[in-house]
Amino acid sequence: MALWKPDPKLDLVLERVVDVPRELVWAAWTKPEHIVKWFTPAPWTTIHCEIDLRPGGRFHTIMRSPEGKDFPNTGCYLEVVPNERLVWTDALLPGYRPSEKPFFTAIIALEKQGKSTRYTATAIHRDEAGKKQHEEMGFHTGWATALDQLVAHIKASVH
Amino acid sequence: MITPSEAAKPIDHVFRALSDPTRRHVLERLSRSPASVSELAAPFNMALPSFVQHMSILENCGLVQSRKTGRVRTFEIVPKRLKLAEDWLVRQRALWEKRLDQLDTYLITLKEK
Repeated sequence: MALWKPDPKLDLVLERVVDVPRELVWAAWTKPEHIVKWFTPAPWTTIHCEIDLRPGGRFHTIMRSPEGKDFPNTGCYLEVVPNERLVWTDALLPGYRPSEKPFFTAIIALEKQGKSTRYTATAIHRDEAGKKQHEEMGFHTGWATALDQLVAHIKASVH
Repeated sequence: MITPSEAAKPIDHVFRALSDPTRRHVLERLSRSPASVSELAAPFNMALPSFVQHMSILENCGLVQSRKTGRVRTFEIVPKRLKLAEDWLVRQRALWEKRLDQLDTYLITLKEK
């Protein structure tokens, strides 16, 4: 049984079935050369990735905004069970040192389903304060920023 | 347990509708006042059928609604729907959905190699 209980107000659980072997899905989550290809929603990009794949090991990415601004992210792996489960958090730095700005823990669970793979991505977030901090870091996709402006604009005109 | 595929549906449509610059312009215009199709289409260099298609995408996801008086169809914005897209967690979900879409596409290309 899972230890964690998703809170619908704070957490996300996403389930996918993809028609590729589990080993390939695992590789895509754990090899830097793969991560840089897909990890950041376009038009943002991941320009750099370092992985030390073991509990306490470093998961480091640098994301670049469409305007060319770089945002480094450093996390720490908590659980590494090849082809089954990957857990990391930004609440800890590599080597388990507590970080300054804890925001989330991610759990990726993989299951074989015939020739396909079912994977579940769970993002556990801290709280309202953590959410705000994350927004202040500027972690928006391009359209989300555009959307914020649009929402503000429309709220101003409707009310 | 949340069933994400179901929970994500209406908002997916809203985000898809908002992903297009023409449709965002239309929403901005409608935020000032309701308008007819020809008024809305005027600023764009676009064939009317294509423009009407944009309007039906906006209407199908509930961001706008329309009524017909005589031969004129007038559109207005539905602010409640946009509120949905404003929510923080909804945006996080959209971000993860997009990330995983990219992963799945990438995995398929890897498999084909």
